[in-house]
Amino acid sequence: MAQVPLEERARRIRRTIVRLAATSTGCHLGGSLSVVDILVALLGRVMKVDPSAPRAEVRDHLILSKGHAAAGLYAALAEFGFIDVEELVRGYNAEGSHLTGHVSAKVPGVDFPTGSLGHGLGLGVGLALGHRMRQRPNRVYVVCGDGEMGEGSNWEALQIAAHHRLQNLTVIVDRNGGQNDGPTESILSQKALGERLRAFGLQTAEVDGHDLNALCTALEVPGDGPRALVANTQKGAGVPMLRGKGPHYAVFSADHLKRALASLGEVTP
Amino acid sequence: MTAPAQGGADLAVAPEAWLKENPTLSNRQVFRHALARFADDDTRVVLLEADLAGGGDAFEARHPDRFLNLGICEATMIDAACGMAAAGQVVFAHTFAAFGAMRACEQVRLGMAYGRANVKLVCDYGGLSGAFFGPTHHAIEDLAILRSMPGMTVVSPADALETVQAIRALVDFEGPVYLRLGRNRVSRLDLPRPDFQIGRAVCLREGDDVGLVAHGEVGVCVAMEAATLLEAQGVSARVLNMHTLKPLDEAALQETVERTQLLFTVEEHSIVGGLGGAVCESVCALGLGARVVRVGIQDRYDSTAGSHEELLKRHGIDGASLAEQILHALPRPRRAALKPALRRG
Repeated sequence: MAQVPLEERARRIRRTIVRLAATSTGCHLGGSLSVVDILVALLGRVMKVDPSAPRAEVRDHLILSKGHAAAGLYAALAEFGFIDVEELVRGYNAEGSHLTGHVSAKVPGVDFPTGSLGHGLGLGVGLALGHRMRQRPNRVYVVCGDGEMGEGSNWEALQIAAHHRLQNLTVIVDRNGGQNDGPTESILSQKALGERLRAFGLQTAEVDGHDLNALCTALEVPGDGPRALVANTQKGAGVPMLRGKGPHYAVFSADHLKRALASLGEVTP
Repeated sequence: MTAPAQGGADLAVAPEAWLKENPTLSNRQVFRHALARFADDDTRVVLLEADLAGGGDAFEARHPDRFLNLGICEATMIDAACGMAAAGQVVFAHTFAAFGAMRACEQVRLGMAYGRANVKLVCDYGGLSGAFFGPTHHAIEDLAILRSMPGMTVVSPADALETVQAIRALVDFEGPVYLRLGRNRVSRLDLPRPDFQIGRAVCLREGDDVGLVAHGEVGVCVAMEAATLLEAQGVSARVLNMHTLKPLDEAALQETVERTQLLFTVEEHSIVGGLGGAVCESVCALGLGARVVRVGIQDRYDSTAGSHEELLKRHGIDGASLAEQILHALPRPRRAALKPALRRG
């Protein structure tokens, strides 16, 4: 497993996501696919985590603040051994399961329930402050959506992160350009997001959010304060049939699933 | 802030003696001294503020490395508190009740209650205690909101000693708690008390005509004043200090119903959803069949200026008004038995 190239892991995660889109409830497909490479870079390279000890005291933390992309996070947690992939596909949004459509903290590898937007950064800031107070090496990675940056609470949290020089905090914005009701630029512009993060006091870089090498490199750049990464992505990334339309939410038919899996290199009978 | 007496009694060991040496401290000041002292023995304790520490805070002075003023961002203070709790701290977060319970409501709901965070949200300015600052600084809905959150514990201490006892209990209690205080009241109930237990109401006075179920530093004081006034008129009141609104001590409530003819709830909060609401729910659900009169803010905002005490009087939340209301509400035969000269209404 350790030798599996990150690109292959990303492809497998996308296969799981489209399978989740083909369950009876479907999933937040566009934003789950856009965040995959960010999650692969974090869980597969940058973060210190151990799927056999997901609650260990000393480890890094991933907070998916854009918790509607739960399908993406669960699929990534399955790929990296935190949960079983077949149990995920069976249990996703199913009666009595904890694998809810917004991120549940009952899932191994998850610290906080998210999905109501604008909470992950505040939680992450507190976690980073707490670990610093306890002199632990734990790092906190918070992944937000670009539409989510409309929530004012994010900017409260960024001010605190900068003021307290939270060297153990990294914010990644999945800049996929879309939100529930349409394109982010036509609803509430997040233009100059990088400049704004910089102006708030975060060491900020912008990268192609589907270039795993670029993501890993950018995430491993050291800093003496909080860091931000604007990852330019596409909704529905990696599934050619979704190119240019990347739906926010989708319920896949059997035919959709077959075509999507085929494009992700899986041969279905 | 009034400085505590130096070199005197140890608050943790002899809280009553310590309070005698510091007779002018309000309950919310007592909270700060108590937390500062208990944090000596528990290095997990942290205090977060959102720019309302007031300057010269006792905790900040004693534990500067565990005191964080995050600025004017109550909502994020609560999320951050939940994050810190996940790192193993026992987090006390303080702001005014209107902001803690309402501006940060969703953070309290998701982070604290749903997340079962080990966070104690301590809010002063409960009820009308913000007085002349106006309704932006009043909190008459907070108890109803917090009480409706699954897993939340809601406590309002009745006086300074109970504030010390409650803070002590909260440091050791695992889970989310809302602790509500007032603003300026200096209350010292000069009564012997059993050990404080979260969720265990305390009978402060026995009586059989009327049961006064009271919550918080104003509610309990007012109930005790009314009980004294009524005694002079030959009416006996049982006073139950329901310091924990959630979980409600239904056994103590039932005992009070069984021993008295009539129930009054007394709180500095809207009569909707707080103590009055909780008691009515339990009385109905348990089939106790008692009449419940809810004394509190009668479902309206009060935008007129004035002192806290005058505001309370306007809403009938004072000893004399309460005694009057009780006399009117007593069952007719009981009222008829009172000496004619003392009979009212």
